[in-house]
Amino acid sequence: MNLNIKADQGQTYDAIVVGSGMTGGWAAKELTEKGLKVLMLERGYEIKHVEDYKTAFKDPWEFEHRGKISNVAAEEHYATMYFSAKEGSQYMFTNDKEHPYVQKRPFNWIRAYHTGGKSLVWGKHTYRWNQEDFLANAKQGIGIDWPIRYEDLVPWYSYVEKFVGISGQAEKLAVLPDSHFQPGMAMTAPEIHLKNSVAQKLNRPITIGRVAHLTNPQPWHTALGRASCQFRNRCTRGCPFGAYFSSLAATLPAARQTNRLTVVHNAIVQEIILDDKAQKAKGVRVIDQNTMEVREFYAKVIFLNAGTIGSTSILMNSKSARFPNGLGNDSDQLGRNLMDHHLAIGARADIDGFENDYYFGARPGSLYIPRFRNWGNDKRDYLRGFGYQGGASRADWSRGAAETGFGADFKKKMTQPGPWKINLSGFGEVLPDPNNRFYLDNNQLDKWGQPQVVFDADFGENERAMRKDIMNDGAEMLEAAGFKNVVAYDNPVAHMGLGIHEMGTARMGKDPKTSVLNKFNQVHACKNVFVTDGSGMTSASNVNPSLTYMALTARAADHAVAQLKARNL
Amino acid sequence: MTRREAVTHVAWILGGVFSAPTIQAMNRWQEMSLSPNAVHQTGAFLTETQHEIMARVADLIIPRTDTPGAVDAGVPDFMEVMLRDCYKKPAQDAFLMGVDGLEKKGFLKLSPGEQTATLRQIEADAPKDGSPSFWLITKELTLLVYYTSEAGIKASFDYQPIPGRFEAIKIKPGQKDFMYGNQA
Repeated sequence: MNLNIKADQGQTYDAIVVGSGMTGGWAAKELTEKGLKVLMLERGYEIKHVEDYKTAFKDPWEFEHRGKISNVAAEEHYATMYFSAKEGSQYMFTNDKEHPYVQKRPFNWIRAYHTGGKSLVWGKHTYRWNQEDFLANAKQGIGIDWPIRYEDLVPWYSYVEKFVGISGQAEKLAVLPDSHFQPGMAMTAPEIHLKNSVAQKLNRPITIGRVAHLTNPQPWHTALGRASCQFRNRCTRGCPFGAYFSSLAATLPAARQTNRLTVVHNAIVQEIILDDKAQKAKGVRVIDQNTMEVREFYAKVIFLNAGTIGSTSILMNSKSARFPNGLGNDSDQLGRNLMDHHLAIGARADIDGFENDYYFGARPGSLYIPRFRNWGNDKRDYLRGFGYQGGASRADWSRGAAETGFGADFKKKMTQPGPWKINLSGFGEVLPDPNNRFYLDNNQLDKWGQPQVVFDADFGENERAMRKDIMNDGAEMLEAAGFKNVVAYDNPVAHMGLGIHEMGTARMGKDPKTSVLNKFNQVHACKNVFVTDGSGMTSASNVNPSLTYMALTARAADHAVAQLKARNL
Repeated sequence: MTRREAVTHVAWILGGVFSAPTIQAMNRWQEMSLSPNAVHQTGAFLTETQHEIMARVADLIIPRTDTPGAVDAGVPDFMEVMLRDCYKKPAQDAFLMGVDGLEKKGFLKLSPGEQTATLRQIEADAPKDGSPSFWLITKELTLLVYYTSEAGIKASFDYQPIPGRFEAIKIKPGQKDFMYGNQA
């Protein structure tokens, strides 16, 4: 390949942030607000907030295939087909055919290569980790110990929660610490019945899902142009009201207000340029995804926020005499301990009665049932635990295909809300395992000459043992509520990647011999490189990870600026 | 074995012989659904007679009453687009076999009562396990196209694209569905 290398002298910034998604947005906001001149590099195309949400206000009849995915689109987006297979949000997901990867063992690598990244398509469930989550590895001799504890993150959780805006209900549970909440979303009548039945008969709490939607916007939200949730539940098309938290709606506007942010799109970071003598990074080398032009940018500090697989790949690709196996890979842990949450499992039921109960609005959230296994006095024959998301809703016209009948009466019946149904979907913790990994194959290159990612990871015995409980406990709760036709299910398609919570491939730790990052998300042996997305996770908990990534990012940015001021970087 | 041979072979096993237009449609459909430009192509697959049969079937499923029916909402034409672009070969073939069967029965020449009875029989005979059968595909598509069409939505539901709030409510008799089902 003939590359036209053009080193841009003068393209020097205080900090470079790689990626514009959930954590890249936070890194840019914090670093610019603390006075740094920041360059943000996004490998994908530009999506402008509101004006580029091209499907946001479309009605069902305006879609070419009425919302269904065509065969051609399904082939192009094979990794995303299990979820989000909708015509309205297809443009938000990366074309897998154009961005191939290798599955030595099955892995769905779900990507969103554009401004805002996966923060535009996330599930928005937002939970703090609990104290035990940070202690479990050390207590049980699994993997390595976290270099931080819950208490280290408390002020940072608070800080990001206020800015994000989280709808939820305070419950004072040790297993699921409360965040700063805006009013929680309502439950439907059968959900309230389930909550009461499960509390009485099984002594398990059920709360409303904690989601990053504004329900009572504060002045600092409205100042950025954000408004209350309109309960359309069309979030994955992009929210023109800026009601759910995303980089585009919140952190990027905040960063832009400082006039210290520069964003460059279509810039695929190939590697970090190292100054081996100084054991520091000098900058990054990028290739333009459209023109193939190669450029270099320089900075005092670099934040990798390209998503777990992306950031770790950049470290792997950044080789030098000092780091022959990839930047910061003295421990050989780079790419190892790949975790996700295991799902596609739970229980569902039909609900008799509640015919006069309905709901106005489409709720972009669900119930949440916090972990109860291996908690308190509960002891199981596996480690860790799981939670559930789910809820009850009334069937719509689509129930008609499987019902017997047709004609005028049938047609009229379809205009009425159908029977209630309920589903509880489990989210289980995955343990770190050094043999669950990904690596780069230098013999298989993509069209930009980058080595392809090879996934070699699967669930282990602990996860499989837990899945039996996820099914049984889900069914037991639905039965406790007296619901009918309870079915516990375990979808055989379940494998790594489907949780879209890939993490752990450049783990944080105390010892450089066994970890890649230190307690401030700095590469142990290259302190001006910070990695603050899912890469650094030492364990996975069973709650959705985004809030913890955000807190870690804000904390790392604070540390980076302090170290810069102290001239330690 | 070529696909055409396979289809003919299946037809023979099922004790039927397909009409030439049906076999042709099966082959053209496959060619077009595999083409990346499929969505920009037009062209009916069904013969005029077959198209008329499907229009009649759709109208028996969702007839015109005090509100528009399936044909008013453009179901028959759209059905072909959906089958071509969004369904896989086994489903396409099952559908075409079903149309072929109705054609052999002289469906259009039957009285409305006989047509309804014929569909009732097809419904009764259809597998109940969710596998793609002529009846399931036909009903699924008729409902989808009708209940996502502008005419169908406005006539059938209390459509709420921007509800603005979420609350549990009690409903009054005759409350129409708010139609949140295909939001995403």
